[in-house]
Amino acid sequence: MRGAFMDRYISVWFLTPALLFLLFILVGPFGFMVWTSFTDLSFALPDRDGNLVGFDNFRRLMRDTLFWDSFSLTMRFMFLAVFAELLLGFAIAQVLFHHVRQRRFVLTLLMVPMMLAPIAVGLIWKLLLQGDFGMVTYYLRKVGILGDQEVILSNSDLVLAAIIGIDIWQWTPFVVLVMLAGLMSLPREPYEAAVMDGARPLQIFRDITLPLLRPIIALVVLLRGIDAFKEFDKVFLLTGGGPGSATELLSIYTYRMNFRNWDLGYGAACAFMVYFVVLIMCSIFYKAVYWNEGRPTARTDRPT
Amino acid sequence: MKQSWRIAAFAAVIAVLVIALLPYVWIILTSFKTRVDALSDTPIWLFTPTFKHYPTVFLDKGYLPLVWNSAIVAVSTTVLSLVIGAPAAYIFARHNFKAKEDLFFFFLTTRMAPPISIVVPLFLLFTEIGIIDKLIAVIIAHTSFNLSLVVWMMRGFFADIPREVDEAAQMDGLSRVGMFIRVLVPVAAPGLAASAILCFMLSWNEFLYAFILVAFEGRTLTVGIPGLITPHGTLWGQVAAVAVIATLPIIVFTTLVQRHLVRGLTFGAVKG
Repeated sequence: MRGAFMDRYISVWFLTPALLFLLFILVGPFGFMVWTSFTDLSFALPDRDGNLVGFDNFRRLMRDTLFWDSFSLTMRFMFLAVFAELLLGFAIAQVLFHHVRQRRFVLTLLMVPMMLAPIAVGLIWKLLLQGDFGMVTYYLRKVGILGDQEVILSNSDLVLAAIIGIDIWQWTPFVVLVMLAGLMSLPREPYEAAVMDGARPLQIFRDITLPLLRPIIALVVLLRGIDAFKEFDKVFLLTGGGPGSATELLSIYTYRMNFRNWDLGYGAACAFMVYFVVLIMCSIFYKAVYWNEGRPTARTDRPT
Repeated sequence: MKQSWRIAAFAAVIAVLVIALLPYVWIILTSFKTRVDALSDTPIWLFTPTFKHYPTVFLDKGYLPLVWNSAIVAVSTTVLSLVIGAPAAYIFARHNFKAKEDLFFFFLTTRMAPPISIVVPLFLLFTEIGIIDKLIAVIIAHTSFNLSLVVWMMRGFFADIPREVDEAAQMDGLSRVGMFIRVLVPVAAPGLAASAILCFMLSWNEFLYAFILVAFEGRTLTVGIPGLITPHGTLWGQVAAVAVIATLPIIVFTTLVQRHLVRGLTFGAVKG
C-alpha cells in the first residue's frame, strides 16, 4: 500500500528535493540580489543600511565608464580566447583524427591542463612569468620576443595577451576532446560518395565536414564563451585585475565593488548584469544545441 | 609524400604535448628545488632534489587540514548531489509532465550561474544563519552547481537504458521506486561513477565560493593558495608543493574516467 502511494507520485518524490534545494540555494539568493540592487546597502558607510533607492544603482551603472571598460575588456577576452581555442583545437583534433593512431595516450596527456584547478593554473603561470627567474620569461627574452627588462604581468600592453594565452593553454584541450568525439561520430557515407564524385579534400572539408560538425562547434563556442565570460580565478591570482585596470574582468570588478568597497547595493547591480548576460548566452546555448525532449542535436553516439 | 605528412603530424603532436605539459612539469620540478635553484635567473632543469618542502608546508605550516577540508567538502557535495540529483534525472529521462523542458532548462541555468553573482547574497544569508566559515557553507554552495550537473548527465545515462529493462523489472513485481533503486541505479553505475568523479573534481578545484564563504577554520586547499604569494620573498618551493598536492589527485582520478569526461563537461551533449 505504501509502495503504491510512493509509486503514484514518484515524479513528485523524486523531483521535489532537487527543486527545493535549488530554490533555497539559488532562487532565494538570486531574489535577494535583485532586491539588494534596488537599495543603497553598504557595509562601509553606517547610514546606508538598505534604504530603497529605486533604479539609482542601475542609472549609476549606465554612466560608470569603469564598468563599461571592464565589460568591453571581458568581451574582448572572451572572443579572442574562444576564437583561438576553436581554431587551434579544431586543427589539433584534425591532425589526431587523420594521422595519429595512439590517440587515447595523446589525449590523456593533453588533458592535463584542463584538469588543473584554475587557481593553480594562475599560480603556475605566475611562477613562469616572474621577471627575475620565470622560466617562460627567460626563454621569451632569449628568442627576443620580450625585451630585456620587460615583465609581462606588470606591462599593461602585454598582460591581456598573457591571460588570453593562459586561457588558451588551459582550455584548448577541451575543444580538442569535443571536436575529436564529433569527428569520430561523423557518418562515412557522405565521404565515400564525395570521393566517388572526385571531390577535392578542401571541398570535402567545406561541404561535408563543416556542416556536419556545426552543432558541435556551436556547443563548444557557447560553453567556452560562458566560461570565459565568468573568468575569475586565474586572473585574480595572476594580476588581481591589474596593472591599473588592464585585466579587470567583470567578475573581478564585481568582486571589488562588493568585497573591497563593500558597496553591496551597487555591487548587486553589477552582479545582476553579469547574471543577465550569462542567462542570455545560456538560452542561446539551449536553443542551438538542445531541442526536442532534451535530446541534444549535437549528440554523438559512436564510442571512441 | 605520405611519409613526410606522418612525420610532420608526429612533430606537431609532440610540440603540442610539450607546450601542454611543460608548465605543469615545471611546477613539479620546482617543488623539489632548493631556494637557490628555484630562484636561479637561468632555468635549471637538472638539480639535486630536496624533499623538505612537502613536510614543511603541510606539517610545520599547517596546510594538511586544508587537504582534509577539501576532501570533506568534495566528498560531501558529491554524495549529496548524487542522492538528490539521480532520482530527479530519472524522472526527466522516463516521465513526461507539463513544463518538463522548461524545468530542465532551469537546471542548466543553475549550473551556469556565475558564482560572483550568487556568492554575495549567499555570503549574507550564511552570515545570517551562522554557518559562515563552516564547511557546510561550502558544501551547500558547491552542491548548487554539482546537483544540476548530475541531473543533466544522469538524464542521458538513464535514457540510454533500454525500456525493456524497466518492463522486465515490473514483471518481477518490483514497485517503481524499488525498480529505480534495485535495477536502474546498478545498471547506470558507470554513469554514476563518472558523475561522481566530475562532481569531486569541480568541487575540489572550485575557488570563488570557498574563498568568500570560508576564511579561517574551514579553508579549503584552493583558498590557501593565494595566501602563499607575498609581494616579497614568496617561498616558491613550498608554493609549488601545495600546487602539486592540489592538482595531482584530480589528474589521476579523471584519467580513470576519461571516456565519460567529455559527456559530463558538455552536459551530456557529446559522448566521448
